[in-house]
Amino acid sequence: MESAIRLRGLHKRFGDTIAVADLDLDIEPGEFFSMLGPSGSGKTTVLRIIAGFEQPTRGTVSLFGADVTRLAPFDRPVNTVFQDYALFPHLSVIANVEYGLRVAGVGRRERRAKAEEALGAVRLAGLEDRRPHELSGGQRQRVALARAIVLRPQALLLDEPLGALDLKLREQMQVELKELQRSLGITFVFVTHDQDEALTLSDRVAVFDAGEVVQLGTPREVYDHPRNRFIASFVGSSTLLEPDVAAALGLARAPMAVRPERVTLADSGPGAPGTIAEVIYTGPEHRIVVDLDGLDARITALEPNIGAHHRRERGDRVMVGVEPAAAAPLEPEAA
Amino acid sequence: MRIVPASAPGPAPLGPGAPIPASSREGSMTTQRLSAYLAPRRRLRLAGLLTAPVLWLGLVYIVALAALLVTAFWTVNELTGQVQIEWTTENVVEVFTEALYRTVTLRTLGIALLVTLIDIAVAVPVAFFMAKVAGTRLRHLLVVAVLAPLWASYLVKVYAWRALLSSDGLIEWAASPFGGSTPGYGIVGVVLTLSYLWLPYVIMPIYAGFDRVPDRLLEASADLGAKGWRTLVSVVLPMIWPAIIAGSIFAFSLSLGDYITTKIVGGATQMIGTLVYTNVGAANNLPLAAAISLIPIGIILIYLAAVRRTGALRSL
Repeated sequence: MESAIRLRGLHKRFGDTIAVADLDLDIEPGEFFSMLGPSGSGKTTVLRIIAGFEQPTRGTVSLFGADVTRLAPFDRPVNTVFQDYALFPHLSVIANVEYGLRVAGVGRRERRAKAEEALGAVRLAGLEDRRPHELSGGQRQRVALARAIVLRPQALLLDEPLGALDLKLREQMQVELKELQRSLGITFVFVTHDQDEALTLSDRVAVFDAGEVVQLGTPREVYDHPRNRFIASFVGSSTLLEPDVAAALGLARAPMAVRPERVTLADSGPGAPGTIAEVIYTGPEHRIVVDLDGLDARITALEPNIGAHHRRERGDRVMVGVEPAAAAPLEPEAA
Repeated sequence: MRIVPASAPGPAPLGPGAPIPASSREGSMTTQRLSAYLAPRRRLRLAGLLTAPVLWLGLVYIVALAALLVTAFWTVNELTGQVQIEWTTENVVEVFTEALYRTVTLRTLGIALLVTLIDIAVAVPVAFFMAKVAGTRLRHLLVVAVLAPLWASYLVKVYAWRALLSSDGLIEWAASPFGGSTPGYGIVGVVLTLSYLWLPYVIMPIYAGFDRVPDRLLEASADLGAKGWRTLVSVVLPMIWPAIIAGSIFAFSLSLGDYITTKIVGGATQMIGTLVYTNVGAANNLPLAAAISLIPIGIILIYLAAVRRTGALRSL
């Protein structure tokens, strides 16, 4: 099967800064694909190159087998949802959504019907005649989505579309985005710095660092088997174990990362002995930091909040256990 | 009230360690008491802040303008040449019925509109280049270049144009090899000079207007399939339209009232301003001059009322 989006040897320089370094990437049709990374890692630049707003210094972009590297944005069969929505302030909601159809010369009646259908798909019927400044952030977000999907693009590019929304709304929009993608059946390329969002929504995640993809895989692969320290600490939280600490916990003598929810604490039994240094109550769980005896190392464990009868206190002695399958060996750091 | 900063060396009699002068302490006490008194009294504070400027605006500006307009309904003693407070509508009727005034009004309107259109035609591309194409350094340089002529005296600039337009001036020299010649002193000279004079006032609001159009919107338009021209017509122009109107208000109203440029490069051209000038000076008929000045005031009011609906006044 042909890739929806194929990047080959993609390289982008801004002055002395390398934003994207020789990137090869294949995004499959119908896939919800996330590009995850801290700001400045090059993920947005890649999206802008796919959309055509930036020209790569070298390398090629193909959409469904057609080389579009030199095509202008208006000649590419993709549409973008911008981080700040970029709605036209002088146009009403319906006119914003109709804009692309009007440019394409679609007749008035058909235009109106399609725009209303798109507004329905993002649950925004009834606000057709409002201006963007009369809408809430979440509503603007939906208009931007409707405006992009009304053109039936072969791929939808989303540049941190939920970044400006508050937590509750963001969680709700995540669900709706996923449903929308499923019902449209088109490729979504989603840029975010929020690892929760990337893990929740995506079929596959590409983790970006310094202009390169440092890991590519399903959310489970990326979360359970982070390849290096950067990914282990950027995607979720991990305790990084030095080789001798890993050995003391009964693991291989190598650098490892272990997720706090995979660390078990027990009053007695097998494991490495330690003293509780800190108990942090987060609501659904307790985050417990343990000083490991004689190792000058700390490890974090999560215990679910199951009521007041089972509480650990600072200073308690515990045995720390990590299953071998729960620890991810890390690649040695590049010098 | 004398304020002596505690750390600064005081006047001669106050050596180190001398007590803070009573006047200074009292001063700060009074200030404190005053602010304590004023803090909850919003209206009093507002009155203190606004009384002086409102008086200035009321007396110097509006009253003077009203006095001028009232003068239009007075007469001049034909023997002494003194203004007499004798109520008559003769001047106003004359201004609104005589063919001369109609001709001059239409000519002035035509010149003002032409100047406005020329300025907009020049300003839009220049402002676009400044706001959207030029880099930061070049942009700052261009802003300075656009504003620099405003530092030069109006008269200097008009006389410079007089020299340019003269029969042995730069324009003649540049145009004659191609069979052209200078337009000389007349309406064309007036239009050229006025267009030059008011150009900065038109460029700046339009530049600010372009600056307020986020690049993201241009990208969004392209993303939705619109080519450059389409984006310009459907996104950029509607958004900078109020700025263009704002610029036009300057060019139009400044042209409407001008008389110096007409005098210097206009040859025999009469504009409303020159008629006012002649009646104040040579003819010594202040009431008639006041009546004539009703014309541009009326036109500007109509113009402002018309553009108010575009929202341009909010972007001034």
